[in-house]
Amino acid sequence: MTMQPGHFQLYTKFSPALTAGSYKFTTNQNLAAVGKDGALGASDLPVARLDTHVTVTSPRYLLPPDQALSTYPPAGTEGAYGSRLPQVVIKRRTLPWERAVAGAPADTPWLALVVFAEGEADVLTNVDVAQCVTSGVTLPGAPDVAKGSCLSIRKSMVDTIMPTQKDVPLLVHGRQVDLDDTELMMGDDDGFLAVVIANRLPLAVKDSDGKEVPVKYNACLVNLEGQFDQLLPQAPPHRRFTDHLVLETGYYQYTQAAYDQKVMGMSTSATKVGLFAHDESIDGPAAEPADGPAADPAEGPAGPGTGPAPRAAQVATHYAATVTPETTTKAYTGSTSWVAGKASSAISKDVAISAVGDSIILALDPVLRFPVLLRWSFTSVGDATFEQLMKNVDSGLLGTRGVTPVEPVGRAALEVTETGHVGLDQRTRRGDLVRAWYRGPLLPHPADLAGPRLPLAHTGDQLRAVIPDGREDLSLAAAFEIGRLLALSQPSMVAALLEWRQRDYQVARGHAIWDGIIADLGIKGVAMNAAPSLGVMLTRAFAGAAASAPGAVIGPPRELVTPGAPMELKGEGLATVLQHFGLDVAADVDLPVLLRTLRETEVPRVPLVDLTRPAANAALTSALRESHERIVSQFVAGALSSQIMTRPGLPVGLPGTPGLPGGIIGGVPVLPHDAPQDEGADPLDRALHDRTEES
Amino acid sequence: MKLDVPTMVLDLPLKLSEAIAIPTTVEDDDTDSAIPAALRAWLVRLRLLEGVPFANLVADSELLPPESIRWFYLDRRWTDALVMGALSVGTVNSDDRTQLTAAYDAIRTELDQEERNARRHPGQPRFGGTVDAVSGFILRSQAVSGWPGLHVRAMTIDPVDEADNRFVPEDDPNRMRLLRLERLAPAVLFCLFDGIPSVVHVEEPRQGVQFGFDPGQVDGSFSYIPRDVNTFADLEKPGGAPVRLDVPFRATDGATGVIDIQQVQKDLVALPATHVGASLDAAEYALQLLRFPYRQVFGDPRGVSIGTVFKASVAYAKQVNDTFKLGGV
Repeated sequence: MTMQPGHFQLYTKFSPALTAGSYKFTTNQNLAAVGKDGALGASDLPVARLDTHVTVTSPRYLLPPDQALSTYPPAGTEGAYGSRLPQVVIKRRTLPWERAVAGAPADTPWLALVVFAEGEADVLTNVDVAQCVTSGVTLPGAPDVAKGSCLSIRKSMVDTIMPTQKDVPLLVHGRQVDLDDTELMMGDDDGFLAVVIANRLPLAVKDSDGKEVPVKYNACLVNLEGQFDQLLPQAPPHRRFTDHLVLETGYYQYTQAAYDQKVMGMSTSATKVGLFAHDESIDGPAAEPADGPAADPAEGPAGPGTGPAPRAAQVATHYAATVTPETTTKAYTGSTSWVAGKASSAISKDVAISAVGDSIILALDPVLRFPVLLRWSFTSVGDATFEQLMKNVDSGLLGTRGVTPVEPVGRAALEVTETGHVGLDQRTRRGDLVRAWYRGPLLPHPADLAGPRLPLAHTGDQLRAVIPDGREDLSLAAAFEIGRLLALSQPSMVAALLEWRQRDYQVARGHAIWDGIIADLGIKGVAMNAAPSLGVMLTRAFAGAAASAPGAVIGPPRELVTPGAPMELKGEGLATVLQHFGLDVAADVDLPVLLRTLRETEVPRVPLVDLTRPAANAALTSALRESHERIVSQFVAGALSSQIMTRPGLPVGLPGTPGLPGGIIGGVPVLPHDAPQDEGADPLDRALHDRTEES
Repeated sequence: MKLDVPTMVLDLPLKLSEAIAIPTTVEDDDTDSAIPAALRAWLVRLRLLEGVPFANLVADSELLPPESIRWFYLDRRWTDALVMGALSVGTVNSDDRTQLTAAYDAIRTELDQEERNARRHPGQPRFGGTVDAVSGFILRSQAVSGWPGLHVRAMTIDPVDEADNRFVPEDDPNRMRLLRLERLAPAVLFCLFDGIPSVVHVEEPRQGVQFGFDPGQVDGSFSYIPRDVNTFADLEKPGGAPVRLDVPFRATDGATGVIDIQQVQKDLVALPATHVGASLDAAEYALQLLRFPYRQVFGDPRGVSIGTVFKASVAYAKQVNDTFKLGGV
């Protein structure tokens, strides 16, 4: 079941299936069978017993940090918590019922929240868990931590402030909250929480004048296991009001000799100790407890032996029994001692001073120890509720005087005008003491928003005004000065202002230099001024101009491939070629003449008759073989060429030759057998033909 | 790669402008400004009276007695003068002053606008327009020191007449923005609204569910209103007044504030209307003790004369008489 938004449900308890501890599950199985010879005996089919050991764990000495979802009052805060009960919200809903409390009815929580002011009890930290409980009490089972904290509290104080046995179940309840309400969920996972409430209001303390004094309260979540019977079985008598703790400061006074005896550890019963708490005969100023060691100058520097003198019999007894310089000093550093104000029945000094041994006190009023699972502290300053305070708040426009006018001491009475101006004393620059009007930024009437704004002033004096009654109105001048001083008080702001000023100068200088130049540049379509971004703007303007007319600004782009120089059939090059062919022909003639000459010129040959026979044979054989191979290749390639041509993507011919129809295989032109024979003319013949026609 | 020359040349400036960071871009919410961003932020805070000594806000302690709330309007002229003073630090010679005079109107306009954005939530759109009236209050009370984290809400209309919508969302159009909410001293709360609210709520901080009692008239006495455990309704007497039970405390010496829960149980069992039956259980006990956050509403009561909310000690007529009728008449 989920909760509606804005709702939550309260539960009396969430009982776990098993409380914490060690369990043994025993499994027995009995087998029976009937055969030919009748039923088998009980021991004929034995089945071994199965023991399963289970341990249910639960925090005992320390609450895991993730289990405490919230504490109220918030830890370490100061506030008017006097009418609110401290509480702690625990994440695991069954936690307060996970341990059985001996001597208590079933489903009694084992946790209680104890709230005490400083001095009423002590919390000892870093104690072995065996020492965390009163001596004589042992908690069975393995502890969850090695060292823990414990609350060290006298039995009389247990009876005073801790809940009774019947109260404990009422102070713990469960709660189911809306899963979407993050404020109530507080990081829980399933929406079920356990809440432990304290049984005590953390009231503020009053001093002997009846004034409230902030007091630091400790809240401890304690474990009641094994010590439930130490709680009161029945509630003591009640009354319909409570009293405040009263902070009182008293003094023990020693004579010099008595103090020396104390220091030397001589018999305390022989020491002449005077208890003059709140006695008129006390001499020496009533100092704050923290000033204790130097309390009485009349006693000299050796007189630190002053101690708190409580008025209630019970507490007084404690102190009377422990008056030693060491403990008194300790009591002072603790700085507080609380006694009940209403129970201020004067006790006789004899009783207070009577030498009661520590052992007797211990027997009458033993110190009990409870393990502390969680502890936090807060300061309570009063019990006024927010509602009371806000209902009674004096509401008015600024300038309204309080309900009870204050009689001014050492100054003139308050002057407030209908405009909100206040009359103040002013010491002028010449030294005269006059009255001036001042009004802060907070007006009792609507500000004039429609009117003109205040013109800029450069000094505070420009804003001073003298109004018709002869007094000066210094409001705005004071504002100017406050603003100036606040700016001056922050070096970073002074630096920022001066940097701003410097930058303005740089801009002005830029204008002076660039304004004419920019106009001369004549960059069209771009409006520019001498801004700090001038460089960027110029770059953009140049790029824009280049883009609109690239040919004019940059020039035509370069070709991808640079052509080589054309070879000419004349001059030195031609002469070199002819020379290397072994032709003795003049090159410096017209091309047709040269060609005609070349045609007529006999190609130089090696005469065969000059050859030796083997050489002639070799030349002939070589020529014949070459001719033979060429013809064979041509025929073979021609026969295959249509298949070669059909192979996709493979250019026919040697690498590097263009993939023409046909090709050259082994240096032989290949003519496909089915290719049409191109009867076209040789380019050289065509050129010659053209030339001859022209000529 | 195919290169189209005109395209390349047109793309070039765009590539260039991407590659070069322009140093004048303000690293802030806005781009053009009359005043550097750091300086502007500081001046806006100054205009919201941050750092102004308390004695300059409230000139006399008698104007803000203990346990009082004082409402006010913010004086534009005063804050303008404050900014002028701060700006005057940056002026050294008369050239600077000439320059500042020329730029001052733009600076003031910009500060007006930025002031509205002072407490803007990150992510929300910026507010435009010029600054309107600013009002606020100073609360001097134990409520400020005892309840850290008070909620303050200002509304342009009174939502009381509307449905039982207890929580008005943050972005409700009727909610007025807070320009400043700050504790100037442990017990003094200073608050500025962006406008003039008609209703202001001051609410107890909501720290989960609380348990407790109401303090009585007599010091040391507490009371509570018992509730019907079935309906959670407060018990009422026949006349309609709530039933009130005094809280029993343990009478032991030193047991200050310790509640006698057994007696609470007896008290409640004695009231059949609570339906607790013969005995109380933990949930029923917790239910009786539940306390909810209180909300104080400061509204605009009708027919209140100015004299009840503002009493000047020097009347204007008297001042005129004193000033202009020399010698007295």
